Amino acid sequence: MLRRLLNGIYFPLFFSVVTLAVIGILFIYSASYRDPGNYESKQVFWILAGLVVLIGVPLIGYRPFLSVSYPFYVLTLILLVLVDFFGSKVLGAQRWLMLGPIAIQPSEFAKVGALLAGVNFLGAHHPWEGQTKTVSIALLLLAVPLFLIFKQPDLGTALLFIPMSVVILFLWGVRKRFLIASFSALALAAPLAWGFLKAYQKKRLMVFLNPNLDPLGSGYTALQSKIAVGSGGFWGKGYLGGTQTQLHFVPEHHTDFIFCVIGEELGFLGSLLVLCLYGFLFHSIFLVMQHTTDVKAKMLCGGVLALLFSHVIINIGMTIGLMPIAGVPLPLISYGGSSFIMTCMCLGLVLSVYKERSIF
Amino acid sequence: MFTRFHFFQVFVFSLMIILGLGLFQTQVVRGSYYYELSKRNRVRLIPLEAPRGRVFDQKDRLLAANRPSYNVIAIPEDITPEVYPRLARLLEVPEKEIRRRMSAGREFPFAPAVIMEDIPQELAFRIEERRPELSGVSVRVEGIRCYPYGETASHVIGYIGTINARECDAVDRDRFGMNSKIGRAGIEKAFDDSLRGWRGGQQIEVDARGQMVRVLSDRKPEAGSDITLTLDLEFQKKIMDMIKGLHASIVVLDLETDGLLAMASAPAYDPNIFVSPASSEQRLHILKDENSPMLDRGINAAYPPGSIFKLVTALAGLDLGKITPQTRFRCTGSFQLGPKSKPAHCWLHEGHGNLNLYEALERSCNVYFFNVAKRLTPDEIAHYAHELGLGEPLRLEISRMAPGLIPDSAWKKARFNQPWYQGETLNMAIGQGYMLVTPFEILRLTSIIAKNGKVVEPHLVVQERPILPESPHVAIREENLEVIKRAMLQVVESDYGTGQLARVDFDKLAGKTGTAQAPPLKAHSWMTGFFPYKDPKIAFVVFVEHGGSGGITSARLVKQMLETWRDLYAAPAA
Repeated sequence: MLRRLLNGIYFPLFFSVVTLAVIGILFIYSASYRDPGNYESKQVFWILAGLVVLIGVPLIGYRPFLSVSYPFYVLTLILLVLVDFFGSKVLGAQRWLMLGPIAIQPSEFAKVGALLAGVNFLGAHHPWEGQTKTVSIALLLLAVPLFLIFKQPDLGTALLFIPMSVVILFLWGVRKRFLIASFSALALAAPLAWGFLKAYQKKRLMVFLNPNLDPLGSGYTALQSKIAVGSGGFWGKGYLGGTQTQLHFVPEHHTDFIFCVIGEELGFLGSLLVLCLYGFLFHSIFLVMQHTTDVKAKMLCGGVLALLFSHVIINIGMTIGLMPIAGVPLPLISYGGSSFIMTCMCLGLVLSVYKERSIF
Repeated sequence: MFTRFHFFQVFVFSLMIILGLGLFQTQVVRGSYYYELSKRNRVRLIPLEAPRGRVFDQKDRLLAANRPSYNVIAIPEDITPEVYPRLARLLEVPEKEIRRRMSAGREFPFAPAVIMEDIPQELAFRIEERRPELSGVSVRVEGIRCYPYGETASHVIGYIGTINARECDAVDRDRFGMNSKIGRAGIEKAFDDSLRGWRGGQQIEVDARGQMVRVLSDRKPEAGSDITLTLDLEFQKKIMDMIKGLHASIVVLDLETDGLLAMASAPAYDPNIFVSPASSEQRLHILKDENSPMLDRGINAAYPPGSIFKLVTALAGLDLGKITPQTRFRCTGSFQLGPKSKPAHCWLHEGHGNLNLYEALERSCNVYFFNVAKRLTPDEIAHYAHELGLGEPLRLEISRMAPGLIPDSAWKKARFNQPWYQGETLNMAIGQGYMLVTPFEILRLTSIIAKNGKVVEPHLVVQERPILPESPHVAIREENLEVIKRAMLQVVESDYGTGQLARVDFDKLAGKTGTAQAPPLKAHSWMTGFFPYKDPKIAFVVFVEHGGSGGITSARLVKQMLETWRDLYAAPAA
């Protein structure tokens, strides 16, 4: 039975997911065992649910997902609009929707919705015919959820739409001049978007450029997270041995700043291990992409890869001051159900591409 | 062949390698530095409060300023146990109290806790001298609010208080901290946002003994902006002296700028007691005082307007063509609506005889206005009251209360579920009954009349832009306003006028008195007017709670006020 279920599962990918999830539980525990909340046991539940999704999606296959992509896309848009009206506010941002006891984060679903819809739309059109029209519609498709998330306001998540969109357009075969045009458009839109930002977001970006601007606020967070990661040194302070993160100098240390705990307690070796696991995961997705001839499947995998990759870069980058501070989780490791399950769903789609790969 | 796919692959892994190099730099190359910083968490956070903007009067005299205050602060992480008894002895408070302050909420770990604010200078010096044995303790000089003139303009300026925990969570940390002060009333509250500057702060690296090694990051606080008021402190002070001991309010408006020259309310309070934590007993005393010294009687309390409202009734009658200035009614001392209704009386029981409108306003005859009221509906009267700003939002910078109440038939229906009775229109016509107004609204009404119908919105803060000459007009014909102005002149200048006690010898005054019944106590005393009659420069309202007759109590105050005004502004009478 189990064998039949796992039949056709791409093990390198499966292996990296499980390893990263286990690291996640260990460090969610380390980050929060002194606080109430029992985050690690809740996360165990999310991980089990996520693994079911990860194994379940290939049984369905990615094609049915693509064929319901438009309704799913519309549904995620509705959720995003709902969250504007009924969402609960956390730190001035409306991101959560309460469904009974469960809080869901529609922006996580919207990422997948937009990816599927974008891939399906682009895959149905040939890149050699009427590219202007196709690209414009595709960009619109991706821009609507981006704008809604941006307005929540969740700048981090909104910006993650950009690498994802670029990658699927790029793999689809968009002309270079369109890419250049879109980047120039983005550059032009940036000052406009600045006006929409909340004061605290502007501050974070300004502080990234000049840490002296807010020594007591996000400048402090940035410094403390750097101290946490850096103080781990080469070998780390040992599991549960971190002092920075344990003492709450770093906020949100079981969600967005979990990498501080890993960096502090496992040192450079541990950080490298996590980085290599992600690298391995990305590598296996690349291999899956190489084995498919379906354009849609290729774009889908590329989009998933771009999403995960940008999460990792932004999240780890911000803990060592290479990126501005943004509320972006570390995929598969950070505490959080919506994020974990959506990541598993994305990777499940990749697994299903592998399962239906062309046999040479 | 190098495809797009390969390009993508190279891009992803290059960035991963850069990230790895970044980690190497942070953890291996600079690892020991960060390790040192983390050992005792050697970073201290010192929030720096911004100096609050100052408040000036129109002649640049300081109404609200900042003086230095010596505050004892301590960073709990750096305190050693033997410090507590030493500090307790110095500050003469129980050790337990110091421990309590130390563990009270702080903004961040490793930020200082405030142990005692505003200590005497010599004590501050003593603590500084003994700092070597008081590790973690220091004295910081910060600005603290002070109001040099105490009660003089307390209702206008308002006062400040320490922010509470719930407010603190809700606001921007760049502007408010745990111990920040926030405006609680008056200008301090209304302009809190601009008076408040931007907080600064320092990240300081300290050594193992808590001594500063270097400043890691520093942002200077930015002082709040100053505010200049239209008030004239000297005039305000003299007016406050006039109404000392009364429950009264006098508001004077400069008709050229629409700025308030004086806005006095008595009894008043000393806003300084809200600044220093030491005076909590005085605060409690003030808050519990049954004379309500905290109440600004000029804008935050509403009273029946009494006969002053006859100006509105007269205007309604004139403007709707129900009467002319020459329309005459006979006053026999009482008035009956119908043969069976209860007679309503004039305040002069023997009656005023046969009067036209000028004479009726001059002598404030009730029966004349009962007759006018018979020709009007309550909604018509209410319409004109609103047109003249009664029952309309106050729009003064510091107002926080809804305006008074101008009743009409719809209001009566909603409030009592009863129809309007014609007898109530009689009451309304002479400013009694349900009607309530604030002295400020009466001032606005008078100013509109004085300016021939130009809409007036008095203000307190000096405005950069000049008032537009084409400001809107009320929908009342100017010749009717002219009639009212002439009648108001007669109120003071005629020997039958109810306001003749206010007459001054250096120019002609126009006004209207009011004596609003407030049983079982003495009536409220009112007088409003503008001066001089030709080319008016100021408009004013005088109100004395339970002050008796408007023609006596208030009129005398008006005369005093005008003489003071003359001394300050006009050349001495030739």
